[in-house]
Amino acid sequence: MPAIEVQNLSKDFGSVRAVDDVSFEVAQGEVVGFLGPNGAGKTTTMRMLTGYLPPSDGRVRIAGHDTFDEPLLARQAVGYLPETPPLYPEMKVAAYVRYVTAIKGVPRSQRRAAVERALARCGLGEVAHRVIGTLSKGYRHRVGLAQAIVHDPPVLVLDEPTVGLDPIQIQEIRQLIQEVAAPREDGRRQTVVLSTHILTEVEAICDRVILIDRGAKALDEPLASLTAGGRSLEDVFTQVTFRDRAAP
Amino acid sequence: MRALAIAARELQSFFVSPVAYVVLTLWSVLAGSFFLSSLLGFLADEAQARQLAAFGQVVETNLNDSLILPFFGSMWIVMLFLLPAMTMGLFAGEKSNGTEELLLTSPLRGWDIVLGKFCAGAAFAGLMIAIVAFFPALLFLFGDPEPGKTASGLLALFLVSLAYVAVGGFASSLTRNQLIAFMSTLVTLLVLGMLLPFIVDLGAGAGEPSALRSGLGWIATGRHTERLLTGLVDTADLAYFAIVVAAFLLLTRTSVESVRWR
Repeated sequence: MPAIEVQNLSKDFGSVRAVDDVSFEVAQGEVVGFLGPNGAGKTTTMRMLTGYLPPSDGRVRIAGHDTFDEPLLARQAVGYLPETPPLYPEMKVAAYVRYVTAIKGVPRSQRRAAVERALARCGLGEVAHRVIGTLSKGYRHRVGLAQAIVHDPPVLVLDEPTVGLDPIQIQEIRQLIQEVAAPREDGRRQTVVLSTHILTEVEAICDRVILIDRGAKALDEPLASLTAGGRSLEDVFTQVTFRDRAAP
Repeated sequence: MRALAIAARELQSFFVSPVAYVVLTLWSVLAGSFFLSSLLGFLADEAQARQLAAFGQVVETNLNDSLILPFFGSMWIVMLFLLPAMTMGLFAGEKSNGTEELLLTSPLRGWDIVLGKFCAGAAFAGLMIAIVAFFPALLFLFGDPEPGKTASGLLALFLVSLAYVAVGGFASSLTRNQLIAFMSTLVTLLVLGMLLPFIVDLGAGAGEPSALRSGLGWIATGRHTERLLTGLVDTADLAYFAIVVAAFLLLTRTSVESVRWR
């Protein structure tokens, strides 16, 4: 069973078609990069994957659960980091992550362990009792990531996880994502979908690239075959997005 | 159970923001001054009664009717202005903060969110009522007011505050701007509680009571609250508050979930 199944997904905002008939599947343990220029429909697609926005047409299955027919099970299976981390600035880091375990339905007896694991994995141990509003942007992103992984969901959706960070913070967050996606002792792997418009990011962490341009899927290939023959990802990106623009 | 987690977080954040402290301070200060002015009014009544008694006339004064009733009545008006400041952020705050996305992508039902927020508001309202209850409690130390009538007055204040929290929560769910939520709650409460009976009374002189007039009179919070304040606990009035709260919670749930089908 694929971790994510998307069939003929479309989204209209009034008369504007933001996402147009997108279909793809993501296998368990795959790390997929959503690539595309700004405004291509990446965020809208991700919002439909997480159940935040309903599709105008088509369907999404997360770990076998349809987001429309079984919304609670589908949402339970997703960890989501929106572009701006959804943080309460007045809360302390550990209390915030604990609150997230409660609303994600982690059983009471497992909450403490889940919070400690998430804080440790995201390198937040030292700031656990700091107020979120006083943290630097890099740390706030880590708290956002901790929030997304704390209930150990099979699918992680990360919307532009490194946007607005300095080069060192970008490195740290990328490393974190790689650690999260790495196979565990029990052999399970977390499926990760991340969106970005930074090409090196895709090259650094993704197994597969889905290129979205003006709402439609323009390309869907494993990274290895894309860059085979010495082509750089940048060439592919500009080629695909320009070709579309030249032939309206 | 998940609603409780939401309620607990909301209550905590009430007490991190200065708004809760400003509201509670104003509330306590106003309660103290209104209690004092009601007490002075009562003393004047009593002095007058003594004078009349000297002329052989018997006039009864009563702690509940001459002191507690006007005091509760004043606090009711104060609540109408202060509670919207507490409810304005319930949902609008989540929207402007970006945390709405966390709530709506979590495995929560609309009711979990709405009831959690309502319980937080209700708990805060309960705290306000407890502060008000302190003053009649003083009277029990130094006099003998009627416990039943006093309790019914406190119940009136609590029920009307629940209705205000439900209305305020709904207004907050409609916008991401807290100021708009505050203003629209205030206007709704003024119309619902004060202006509606006034409009009804304006037409009272002309012709016999119409179905519209008695209907509007029923919708207004004023009459139900006044009956409870004077010690008349009627199931019809209790049902009125239950209906208002339920109706606004239902509207709020629809508004919160509307993002999913818009």
